[in-house]
Amino acid sequence: MADPYPGAPPPYAAVPSASPYANWGQRVGAYLIDIAPIVILEIIFVRLVFALFIVVMIASIGWTISNRWYQGGTTGQSLGKKALRIRLVSEETGQPIGMLMAFVRDICHIVDSIICYIGWLFPLWDAKRQTLADKIVRTVVITDGTGY
Amino acid sequence: MVIRRMYSVPEHITMASLCAGAIGAVYPVITAHSGLPGLPCPLRTLTGVPCPFCGMTTATVALTHGQWATAASTSPLAYLVAAFVVATTPVLLARAAGLTRPPRPWSAAARRRTRYAAATVVAMSWVFQLHRFGFV
Repeated sequence: MADPYPGAPPPYAAVPSASPYANWGQRVGAYLIDIAPIVILEIIFVRLVFALFIVVMIASIGWTISNRWYQGGTTGQSLGKKALRIRLVSEETGQPIGMLMAFVRDICHIVDSIICYIGWLFPLWDAKRQTLADKIVRTVVITDGTGY
Repeated sequence: MVIRRMYSVPEHITMASLCAGAIGAVYPVITAHSGLPGLPCPLRTLTGVPCPFCGMTTATVALTHGQWATAASTSPLAYLVAAFVVATTPVLLARAAGLTRPPRPWSAAARRRTRYAAATVVAMSWVFQLHRFGFV
């Protein structure tokens, strides 16, 4: 039968679709990849050659600035997120949040930790799979190619 | 648009708990060989007061090594989580094998009841930890 109202919007219906939000496992995996170089550096150098402590500290900070804040902020993908094919974007615009907000978001992770680390588990049950830091800076982590 | 999860929230919590259990099984080896410090409780570090989840790391390690009494005396919450995992794992496996359909969203009332239940359990765990550390 021909549609009596061509061009009309589709009817309201519960159309199931895959969640665009990255799940907790993906987020943990990406974070572990991001911090792996720092942990490895600390285990190898600080334990074996304590004199290199300052060098390792500077290298760790440099890695964090470059990877998590610059890359993560400007492209939405740190090394870990790129590996897990997920992306950090603004909840409102869907665009990368910039270096400064990526830094602020990491600072806000203190809130996730201060309540007995429960904030880090929020993506397990939250509708948008956000941590508290994500809610504060209004970001979401999405899976690549879901067109958030 | 209704966004559907492949697995329900309880199943996600079960997956995370299974990961925690796997880490708990090797945790003493990791800390012994890496020199990395254990996970400190932020609330206890800052204020001296234990949080509802204090002892979970110790209890998880104890449970995965068969030290039942140690686990029970450190954090009964770990037993509850373990029971939750045992009850939910068959559903999780059935879902992963495609034997059951994706989960349906819970009603608002069911969500509210679950929040109350979780809050009650956390409160009871906090009372236990406060008693364990001599605050009550």
